[in-house]
Amino acid sequence: MTSEPLVAFDRVGKRFGDFVAVEPMHLEIHKGEFLAIMGSSGCGKTTTLRMLAGLEAPTEGEIRLAGERINDLPTWQRDTPMVWQSLALFPFLTVRENVEFSLRMRGVGKAERRQRADKWLERMQITEFADRNVAHLSGGQRQRVALARSLVTEPEILLLDEPLSALDAHLKVRMQAVLSNLQRELGITFVYVTHSQSEAFSMADRVVIMSRGRIEQIGAPQEIYRSPRTRFVAEFLGSSNVFAGRVAEAAGGGIRVETPAGTFAAPLGELAAALRPGDDATFVVSDDRMQLSGSRPESGNALEATVLAEEFVGATAVVHLEGPGGEELRAQKSHDELARLTLSPGDKVWMSWGPEAGHVLPGG
Amino acid sequence: MTASDRSGLAAGPVPARREMPGQARPAGAPAPGRARKTVSLYGLTFSLPMLLWQMIFFLAPLLFLVALSFWSVRNFRMEPDFNPDNWSRMLGRSVFWEAYLRTLLLSATAAIVTSAVAFPASYAIAFKLSETARRWAIFLMVIPFFTSYLVRVYSWQIFLSDNGIINALLAKIGLGPFPMLNSNFGTMVGYLTLCLPLVILLQLFSLIFVDRTLVEAAHNLRCGRLRTVFEVVVPAARVGLTIAALFCFILTFGDFVSPLYLGGGDPPTLSILITDTTKSGQQWPRAAVVALVMIATLLVIAFAAVRFAYKERGR
Repeated sequence: MTSEPLVAFDRVGKRFGDFVAVEPMHLEIHKGEFLAIMGSSGCGKTTTLRMLAGLEAPTEGEIRLAGERINDLPTWQRDTPMVWQSLALFPFLTVRENVEFSLRMRGVGKAERRQRADKWLERMQITEFADRNVAHLSGGQRQRVALARSLVTEPEILLLDEPLSALDAHLKVRMQAVLSNLQRELGITFVYVTHSQSEAFSMADRVVIMSRGRIEQIGAPQEIYRSPRTRFVAEFLGSSNVFAGRVAEAAGGGIRVETPAGTFAAPLGELAAALRPGDDATFVVSDDRMQLSGSRPESGNALEATVLAEEFVGATAVVHLEGPGGEELRAQKSHDELARLTLSPGDKVWMSWGPEAGHVLPGG
Repeated sequence: MTASDRSGLAAGPVPARREMPGQARPAGAPAPGRARKTVSLYGLTFSLPMLLWQMIFFLAPLLFLVALSFWSVRNFRMEPDFNPDNWSRMLGRSVFWEAYLRTLLLSATAAIVTSAVAFPASYAIAFKLSETARRWAIFLMVIPFFTSYLVRVYSWQIFLSDNGIINALLAKIGLGPFPMLNSNFGTMVGYLTLCLPLVILLQLFSLIFVDRTLVEAAHNLRCGRLRTVFEVVVPAARVGLTIAALFCFILTFGDFVSPLYLGGGDPPTLSILITDTTKSGQQWPRAAVVALVMIATLLVIAFAAVRFAYKERGR
């Protein structure tokens, strides 16, 4: 038995009238972890974060912080500072006054307030802007002010609501490094809401994927990437090939699924353990496991597809293809390999993968 | 033509500047996208009627008022002159300075009292009412303007006089009568009648635009509900709140109706002093002196208020 988690959502749900924003959910957040909650807009991720901050009251269930029920604690009595998407810096206060704000609210004396604020200004490398008006700072500097303002009270947990979405791509990557380092050095819990897969997967220890108010999967980034548990997650991540079909055979540690694109084999994983021949099943292969070749390989899973387009994604390229049943397929390849294959749109090509590369999910 | 000449001439619209990360705009540098200095002929054509109107009906009379303040009055007739006597006579009289101080205090009190009375109402309308209810509230705030201010002030006499409605009701429970008419209290009731709906509307329109996230951010940083009003809502709406108070000050500073019909007019305010001066021996030039002092005072107050409203914290 591990120790009590820092935050526990126990059947916590939220409705606005008839609309269910968050279905009753269980979620445990551990001390010192970087947890990302990810999903498209309207999936309930921000509502979840706001319930933890006390800005929204759950309509059912219980939220516990360090073992204590906090449902009825107003936000100004919780220690759950938040970094807002718009940053919400106070435009009528200077940078230092912004950082001092929550210390002043707690009645910390003037000298101590200043000393503690200055320590954070220094740590965030914004000391030189201490007496500036926040409106006169750049996006990255404002970000640092927002972080300093939330962290100045040295809370156990920091909530972040898409804090990087207003920054340009270059600055985003730099701020990701700042956030990751900060979280590691402070050892406090970060709960980070985002719709960006790259932000969530590059920073978080664990990722929660939400859809339509439900948690679809919780796990380490690699684990989710390698073995999405639901068809939604596989499609949401966008880097998998997904085939819907029916179980043809399940025996001896292997499973075979019959799909319009062919019959494919995979190891019998725990998710597919209960499947029987005839059941609906979904076959998933990650795009970096796909081989492309001009002729049918001798063994393994294979299908013939039509090349649609190539997409340049930095060190590699993604080839978009269409399967025999009209499936949207993809394969990630190095530029060298693509140069050898010399593909052009309209070409037929064989896609194949080893039996261990795919996995099977229950349901269509 | 030298190169620098040409570069000066070529200063057309500058493309929107991208801020580089890690580099702040130097303090005092012009904000990107500020309008060019040159006035376009097109814009001028459209503003011409307004400009002409202001010249004919504001600037010209003002200049005439200045000239008038130096005229002489002989045998109840005004004669063009350059006579600084009017100024020294008026400014040398304690009656004038008493009236000046009194008017200043009354208007300042009115601005503070009206703002304080209006704020809870405009706060509630802006933050607590639904969209539909807010529209109704704004509509209701406009209705008082349907009736003439003079009529509304007269109707207050029925309520406030010694045998008026309020004292009659108080008498039933054995209280009073309280003298309410012909006092500063009466004047203040009139001033509120004049300003309250307007001040509520002006406050409301600035409170509606206060970013709600700032309020949530304050709560999240341990600022309780009531404290947030003073720590965040008031500072964030400072421009609108100050302008609303300024309007109240300006309207009451020149008002003649309330201090006369509800305040009794004695001792006089500056506007009452003006009418008294014109009535006593056709002293229009001396009345002009009072009017000019009032205009100068309002200019100073308005300038200071606008400066305060837009003052930024920090560099």
